[in-house]
Amino acid sequence: MTARSETKAASFAEAAARDVDFEAAVRPHYAPLVRRLVVVMGNEHDAQDVAQDAYLRAFRSWDRFDGRDVRAWLYTIALRLAFNQLRRRRRWLGFISRAEPAPWSDRSDPDLWIALQRLDPRSRAALLANVLDGYTQREIATMLGVPEGTVSSLLSRARATLRIELGEGL
Amino acid sequence: MTPTDLEARLAALEARAPGGAQPPALPTTGSGRRSRLFAPIAMAPVLVLAVAATAVAGGAVVGGIVAQGLPGAQNPGQPLEGANLECMNPPQAAAYLTDHGFTNVVWQVETGIAGDKGSGSSTQRATPPDHGYVVPGAFLGDGQLIMIVDQRDGATGTGACYGDPMP
Repeated sequence: MTARSETKAASFAEAAARDVDFEAAVRPHYAPLVRRLVVVMGNEHDAQDVAQDAYLRAFRSWDRFDGRDVRAWLYTIALRLAFNQLRRRRRWLGFISRAEPAPWSDRSDPDLWIALQRLDPRSRAALLANVLDGYTQREIATMLGVPEGTVSSLLSRARATLRIELGEGL
Repeated sequence: MTPTDLEARLAALEARAPGGAQPPALPTTGSGRRSRLFAPIAMAPVLVLAVAATAVAGGAVVGGIVAQGLPGAQNPGQPLEGANLECMNPPQAAAYLTDHGFTNVVWQVETGIAGDKGSGSSTQRATPPDHGYVVPGAFLGDGQLIMIVDQRDGATGTGACYGDPMP
C-alpha cells in the first residue's frame, strides 16, 4: 500500500466512520422527532418535510455537535425550522387568502387534542419538552431560541389553557 | 386531572401521531463535509470537476489541496453494485470479494464507542477481522479496495442491514 493510497484510505475510512457514527446516534431519534413535529406543527406532511431537512442539516453539522444531548440538539434544529416554516406559510396563506391545511387530529383523546389546538405551536413545543422530556426552562429556552422568561410565560399559559379545557390539578 | 395524568395522556397522544417514515438517505460518504474546502483560484477547474464527480457518487478525499471523487464500491455503476456487503460478516465479505476477483483489499477496523467522539481508533490490515459490521468501501485510484469494519460498542451497521445485530 503506497503512502498516497494510505492517505486516501484513511480519509475515506474516517469519513465513513463518521457517517456510521451519525446514523447510530441520530437515527433512533428520527421517528420520535416526526411525531413531535406532527403534534407541534399539526400537519403530517409539514412534519415530514421539516424532519428530513433537520436530519440532513444535523448531518452536515455533525462535526460541530458538542456530543452532549443528541436529542436536544436535533430537536433544536428541527423546532427552529418548524417555526420558520409555519411563519412563512402563514404569511403566504394570508397573502393568497387561503386557509391553513387540515390538521392532524387524534380521535382517541379528543379533549386533549382540542386543548392542544388552543395553544400556539411554540407553547405546544415548550409544554411537550417540559412535560414529556423533562427539559428545564433554561434548556427549552435554548431549544426554542427565546429568553427563559418567555418559556416561563409559554408554560404558564399552556397549563392554564389545559386547566380550563381538561380540569383542575395541573 | 393530575400532572401525571397529563404526562401519560400527552405521551399516548404523541405516540399515536404518525412517525413511521425512515430518515432520508445521507449524502454519500464524506461529501457532506467538504463544503469548506479551500483551494487557490488556480485550482478552481480541478475543484469543479471533483465536486461534480463527488455529486454523482462516492466520497471525497482531500489529498493535499486537490479533491478527488471516490465512488463507493457499491454505488450504481460500480463493480460491487448490489452486493450488499454490509449484510455479511467480514469473513463472508472477504470470501465474496475473493470469489469475484477482488484480491487487492485493505481492511480498516474501527473500534471504540459509537457516538463518543475521540474514543475510537482504526487499524488497517490485510486480512478481515472475524466480526463487526462491514461498511461498504471504495476503490482507491490504484485499484485497491478499502473495506471498513465497524466494531465499536453501540454500532448499528448501515445500508440495507442497518440495525441488525453485529455479526
